[in-house]
Formats: sequence, structure tokens, C-alpha cells
Amino acid sequence: MIFNNIITRKIKDTPLKIKLVITYILLTAIPMAIIGYITYKENTKAIEEQVGEYIPRLLHQANINIENELLQLNELPEAISNSSDIMAILRSNPYKDKSQYLKDQYTIESFLAKTYLDSKSSEIIGAFLLTNKGNYSSVKIPYTGFDLNKSKIPFGEMHELSGTSQIVLTNEITLSFQDNSNFILLVNEIKDVENRKSLGTLALAVKVSFIEDILKDIDKEEKATIWVMDQNGYIIFHPKESLIGTVDQEITSYPLVNGSFRTTYSNKKNILYSLNQSEENRWILVHSIPVQYLTERTDAVRNVTIIIFLLLIIATTILSVFTAWSVTKPLQTLSKVMKKVEKGNLHISIPPGNKDEVGVLADTFQSMLNQLRQLIKENYENELKQRDAKIYALQSQINPHFMYNTLETIGAVIEEEESELALEMVVILGEMLRYSLSEGKRLVPLQVEVKHIKNYLTLQKIRFEDRVNFFFEGEGLIGKYYSPKFIIQPIVENSFKYGMSSRKVLSISIKFEIQQNTLHITVSDNGPGIDNSRMVEIQQSLNETDYFSKESGLGLVNVNARIKMLFNENYGLSLQSEKGEGTTINISIPLIEGECLNKYQSLEER
Amino acid sequence: MPYKLILLLVVLLIVSGCNNEGRQQNYKIIYKGEGKQLIESDENSNQKFTIAVIPKVSGIPYFNMVEEGMKEAAKDLNVDLIFSGPLIADWKEQKKLVEKFIENDVDAIAISANDPEKLGSVLNSAKKQGIKIITWDSDTNKQYRQYFVNSVDPELLGRHVMDTLSANLNEEGKYAIITGSENAATVKEWTKWMLAQQQEKYPEMELIDVVESDDDPKKAYLLAKDMIKKHSDIKGIIGSTSVGPPSAAQAVMDANKKGEIQVVGLSSPNLLRQYIVNETIKIGTLWSPKKLGYLTVSITKEALLGNKIVDNMSIPNVGVIRLNGDSVIMGQPIDFTKENINQYDF
Repeated sequence: MIFNNIITRKIKDTPLKIKLVITYILLTAIPMAIIGYITYKENTKAIEEQVGEYIPRLLHQANINIENELLQLNELPEAISNSSDIMAILRSNPYKDKSQYLKDQYTIESFLAKTYLDSKSSEIIGAFLLTNKGNYSSVKIPYTGFDLNKSKIPFGEMHELSGTSQIVLTNEITLSFQDNSNFILLVNEIKDVENRKSLGTLALAVKVSFIEDILKDIDKEEKATIWVMDQNGYIIFHPKESLIGTVDQEITSYPLVNGSFRTTYSNKKNILYSLNQSEENRWILVHSIPVQYLTERTDAVRNVTIIIFLLLIIATTILSVFTAWSVTKPLQTLSKVMKKVEKGNLHISIPPGNKDEVGVLADTFQSMLNQLRQLIKENYENELKQRDAKIYALQSQINPHFMYNTLETIGAVIEEEESELALEMVVILGEMLRYSLSEGKRLVPLQVEVKHIKNYLTLQKIRFEDRVNFFFEGEGLIGKYYSPKFIIQPIVENSFKYGMSSRKVLSISIKFEIQQNTLHITVSDNGPGIDNSRMVEIQQSLNETDYFSKESGLGLVNVNARIKMLFNENYGLSLQSEKGEGTTINISIPLIEGECLNKYQSLEER
Repeated sequence: MPYKLILLLVVLLIVSGCNNEGRQQNYKIIYKGEGKQLIESDENSNQKFTIAVIPKVSGIPYFNMVEEGMKEAAKDLNVDLIFSGPLIADWKEQKKLVEKFIENDVDAIAISANDPEKLGSVLNSAKKQGIKIITWDSDTNKQYRQYFVNSVDPELLGRHVMDTLSANLNEEGKYAIITGSENAATVKEWTKWMLAQQQEKYPEMELIDVVESDDDPKKAYLLAKDMIKKHSDIKGIIGSTSVGPPSAAQAVMDANKKGEIQVVGLSSPNLLRQYIVNETIKIGTLWSPKKLGYLTVSITKEALLGNKIVDNMSIPNVGVIRLNGDSVIMGQPIDFTKENINQYDF
């Protein structure tokens, strides 16, 4: 079970690419291979069966032909019975004198030569007539070794033949011809059918080549070998002449004599044997052919199939690898991208892929990344900028010039010995310093802010005396509202910065208005105004979303940025100016009452 | 688990492989033929048939020769032979014999019938018992038997015998015929063709009488003697059964008419020899009765085995036979003359 688990684990852990390739091969290559193998096997078997069934039938026919041929040969002795001359000699009594015997011998032997050797049956090479009265022979080829005492020819026991012919094979007799022809001896009794007496025995030596002529007609493969043997395995005819007369030792192991079988050697050299045994002489006709020649064509087809199969496998494997690759490649790309993201690079774009599942995943990841980047930008960057603005605001709270000028003015006042005024100025300056030092709270009651402006303006009035006038309008409206710190002072400072450069009396009015939920603070002066090109630049700065850029030094822009960051784009500064006529700056902030203070406080503390 | 399974499989393969090699089964049979597969001689012919043979009459040389041939065939063909004939050529006697053989339950009866019709009923009852009926030498009507084994073609024989007579008579003069039994169908047939040949070809010749010897040599001799007395101008005598020619020749010799009256006919060489040697008979005609006997048994056995007889069939130790309808014809008649009479021993 543990082993199983390990295997399962291993399978599960295998890369998707390999899993796909393996699955593909399992689904295509293996069934293909199995089908191919089975088809080849079945085909080969079918061919073998077809041949195995067909050849015995041919052999049966050939066997019948051989038997017919033998039957015809066996009818040849009848020529003797039909010849009254020969019959007269054979029927006559034993000879009285030698001359009569020699005369008869001449008659009989010339008859044998004429009848058997000159006839169409050219396969007959010798005729031997053995009788009670003497032996006669006529041959085409000189012979030796026809020893009548040792041969099996039933001389003297002729009745044993009782009319049937006998085939004597060369291994049973010593007869041989000078040209070493292979032959069989057909032995027939010469019977006097009228007198019912046996007259003698006729032995005809027939060349086995007549079998060859019959076998030639068999429709056989070139590589096939056909031979004839008797039931003891003695080979009567074989295409290889040296084998004629030998004994096929394997005959006892042949499983049948009518039908087909093949050897089952493990190597390729199997042989298909087809056998048929004749009914009369019990001769066995054997047809043998190497199986590989039968299946030659199938083998060729098999080889081609294997090549095609291998090519297909290669092609399909490449295809499957490609498919697997095309599936896993986007995943790999995606995972690389994810790793980069993991390392902190959010500014990555995934190359566009297909619109498949992986593509959708990539798209989703991309949009998630965008979302993430958006959020980070919105919060993290805002925080940073606010912090910068805060530092800037802190820096810009009390202008050192103003401090210096105020202290100079206080000194001058003390010199004139107006100690009351000096004291008042010191108190006001103290108040201003305290206000600017008050930590933490960004939103303050508007009254406190207005008080701070008043202090500032009061100190400037003391310094510049009649060159400065200032007015407040709508102060009654502001009672319960809050505002950010230092939003008015930078604007008033600006008015002084430019307004005091001319010789005119600087008049500054600060007006509070409430329109719906918005508090408008309008600071107007009668200073030199702003020329058009400068105006355009300032307007641009005010409209920029990147609040603290190069123009951040400008008080107006700073205030505008702080308001917009703290509240939203709908609030901020707007200004109107005409060269030589003065400038009007409108600050708009939401109406913030005590109870909603927490909302902004919490924003601030992040 | 899988390790064990694989191990088990491997072990099984090895074991089975060993078994195969051990058995040395080197051949795989692909197709088994219909013939016998074992290399052995068939011992199918265990069954031994019993054949009963009834000649027209027993004791005369012709049928003795037939019996010899039959015995030879019975030995060659491995059948039991019962040869039993009536003492006189009479169908009634033959009927009794048939009845006896039916009782003995023989396999076949080969009969040379003395009457073509009258033996019919008894032969039919034998047939009902499953006994094969073959006729030989002398036929019955067709429906009573399976084959008729005839020695020669009756037309050919009849015409040939008439030719031998007319050759000796220079085609003119009176002649008479001595036949066997009145009812023997085959002899009747021969006679018919003899007369036909004479009427067609030899108008100068004249038939004066046809007499019946009943296959009795003595009766034949008396008939011939009587005829020679009665017809002083008779030139020729034909004996159409085997007893005829020798008896007629003896009568001619006894009447001192050798050379004046020519005797021809059907008889065996052994019976004719002395008359041919002393030239009373110039030509005798017959076939080998031994061969006929041999052939009869051969055909009977073939019939028992259920084999069909066909025209031009070669019968071992007999030769080629002809078939005319269901009549087997053994071959050509043999003429016996002074030159060749010694070649024949029957």
C-alpha cells in the first residue's frame, strides 16, 4: 500500500507536460501497436491455414495422378497376355533343345524391347521376364547386380502376388543401372487367365522421373520442395537426386500424413509441411516450404507498416510534445511573471496569449496585477505625498522673514517707547507661534484660523501702518465650522509679497460665504495683479494632479494641493486677476462640523 | 503486491517454457486432412462373405472348370464359396438349392439359370432376405438379378460360330444344331444369332433341325447319330453347349463320315482335343470356363461390397471386361485349332 501511495504520489508530482505525453502515447501508440501486431499475426495464420488446406488438396490430386500413372504402367504386362505368339511360347512345355530356347529367347526379348522400351513410356529403362522356362531381359542401359536369388522378386512363389502388382524400391534389390538412374521396379505376374496358370513374372524398371513430370504440373511456389516417400520414409523421388534412396528419419515424428503442419522453432526458419498419402501404394507426398516465403508479402507489408507506425509515433509524439508545450508554456511564462511579481516588480505586463483557459488565467492575473498596482498607487503613494506636504506645510508655517520683520518692528516700537504696543505685538506673535507649533491636529476650528490671520494682519498693520487696510466679511457664519491649518495665511502672505512692492495702499478683504455644503473663503487684494503668461502657468499648476511638482514652492499651489488631497478634486483654489487691478483668490472647502471631524482625523492619521 | 505478481508471472513463463521443451512438440498442426492419419494398413475387410454358386448341372467338365476358377478366386478374394449344382439341368432342382441357400443365409447366390422366368419367385424371396443375386453363363429375366456375368457377347458368339461352320462348308449345304436345355435363355440367344447370321450372310445354307441335348453327352450322341441317319445330305452340325461338339464328332466318326460332315460349336479344349487332333473337328470355340468362374466370383464380391461395375473395367487376374446394360461380358471367344489346342488346359 505504501508503494502504491508512492507511485500515486509520483504520478501526481510528474510535470503536466510528461503526463500529457505519456497519456497521449498510451492512448495512441499502444493500441496502434497492439492492433498492428494482432493483424499481422492473424494474417500470417490465415495464409498458413489457406496454404495448409490448399496444398494437401493439390498433393491429393498429384497422388491420384501418380497412382493412375502406376496403374497404367501396371497394365502394360497385359501386352504379353494379348500376344498370342508370346503366350504360345510361354504355354509350351519345357524345351527339348537349345536352339529352340534361343529362338524363343530372341522372340521374347525383341518383343519386350518393341513393346516396352520403344513405346511412348520412355521412362521404362528395362524389362525383365522371369519364367519357369528361363529368364529374359531387355534394357536400354546396361545393368548390374540383378541377382535373382537375393532379390525380393517372388520367383518361384509367384502365386503370392495373386494378380496384384508389386512395387519394389531400389533399396530392396541390388539391381542398378550404369547411369545410376533412380528407378522403381514394377513387378507383375504374367497370368494365363484362360488356363488359370501363372506363367512368370514381368519386372519393369521405371525411372522415377515420371513422378517429376507429374509434380511439375502442380502449381507450387518456387521455393517449395516436393518429394515422394513410401510409408517407411524411404524416399522414392526427391528433386535433390542424392536424397533418393535415403530414408527420411523424421517420418516417425510427423504428426499426420494427410494435412499440414509446421515446425515451431523459435527462430525464423520454420517450415510448413503438407502431406498426403496415396490410398493404394500408401506413398506419401510431402510438400515443404519455408514459412517465410509464404508470408513474404505480409512481411513486406509488416515492415512498411512498422516504418509508417514509427513515423507516425514520431510525428504524434512531436505533436503531443508540442501540444503539451503549448499548454504548459503559458503556464511557465505565467509562473515566471508571478515570481517577478513576488519579488516586487508590479510593473510587468504578460505577453498576450491565446484565449484558452490559460489565456483567461493570464488575463485575470494581469487585471489583478493592475488592480493591485492601482490600489498601491492610490494608498501608498498618497500617503507619501501627504507626508511630504505635511513637512512642507510645517516648513512654511512661520516665514523667517516675517519673524525677522516683526521682531524689527517690535524693536522699533520699543525704541519709540510705545511699550503698550510692543507688548501687544509680543503677545500676538506668541499666539501665532503657539498656533503654528500646535502639533497633530490638521483640522482646526475656523475661528482659530481666522484669529491667526487676524494676528498676522494686525502685526503687518502695525508695521506698515496706513499702507495696509484689511477687512473681514461674513465672520458670523464661521462659528461652528472647521478648516485645515494655514490655508489663508500663504495667500495673504502672497498679497503682501507682491502688493507692498508698489506705492499704493494695499487693501485686503477676506470674505466667508456658504453655498450649499461648501464654504468659500475669498481673499481679494488691490495689488499689481498677475500678468497673463504667469496666470496661465499658475492655473496649470493648480490643475495638475501631481500636486507637489516643481511649483510646489508656490504657496497657492501648496494650499490647493493640501485641500484637494484632504478632501477631493471638487475643492481647492481658484483665482482671478487683472494686471494692475488686483487679485481675487477663492478657497473652497467642505462644511465640516464638529461631529464629522473624526472622518478627516482618521484619514489624517494613516 | 505488484512485485509478487510479476515474480509469479515470470516463474509461470519459465515453467511453461520448460514444459514445452520437455515435450519436444516441434510441430504445430495447421490443417488435418480427411484421409487416414495413421501409417497402417487398413483391416477393414475382416468381413468374410459367403457366396453360393449354382451351375446348370453338376458333374460335367465345363462346370468343373468353372468351379476350379471360382475356387481360385475365392482364395484370392478371401470369400467362402459353396458350389453346388443339380444332377440334371432342371430349374426345379435349382429352385430347391436356392431355397436351401436362403436357409443357410448366404451373402450372395450366383446362378446359371436353367429357366429365365420360373426361378423368379424363389430368387425374389432370396433378394428379400438381402441376398445378392448374380447370374452367370445363363441369364434369368433382368428383374431377378443384379448382374449377369456373360462369357461373351451372345450376338458376336452366335455369328462367329456360324462363320466357322460356313467357312468349313464353303457357305452351302444343310446343317443342324444341338442345343442344351430348351429353356436355357443364353443358349437360346446364341441360336437366334446363329440363325440370323446364316439367313443374312449365307443363303445357300439350310437349317434342317434344332435338337435339345439337356446337356447330357449320351443324349447328344444319340441325337447326332439319329440325325446323320435321317439326313444323308447333312453337311454340318453345330453343338451350342459343351457336350454337343464332342458327341457329334464321335457320331460322325462312328458313321465314318469324317470330312464329309463338319462339326463346330462350343466346347472346351480338353473335350475337343482328340477330335481336333484327328481332324474330325477343325475349329472349336469357347472361352475359359475357369476365367468365367473367377470373374463370376470377382463380380459377386464387387456387388457385395457395393461397388459399381463399369464398362472397360479391369478385373484383377481376368482383364478388361465390358458392360452392356447390366450384363458383364468377359471377353472374346477363343477358337481352338490343331495348332493351338495344346496351349489350353480346360
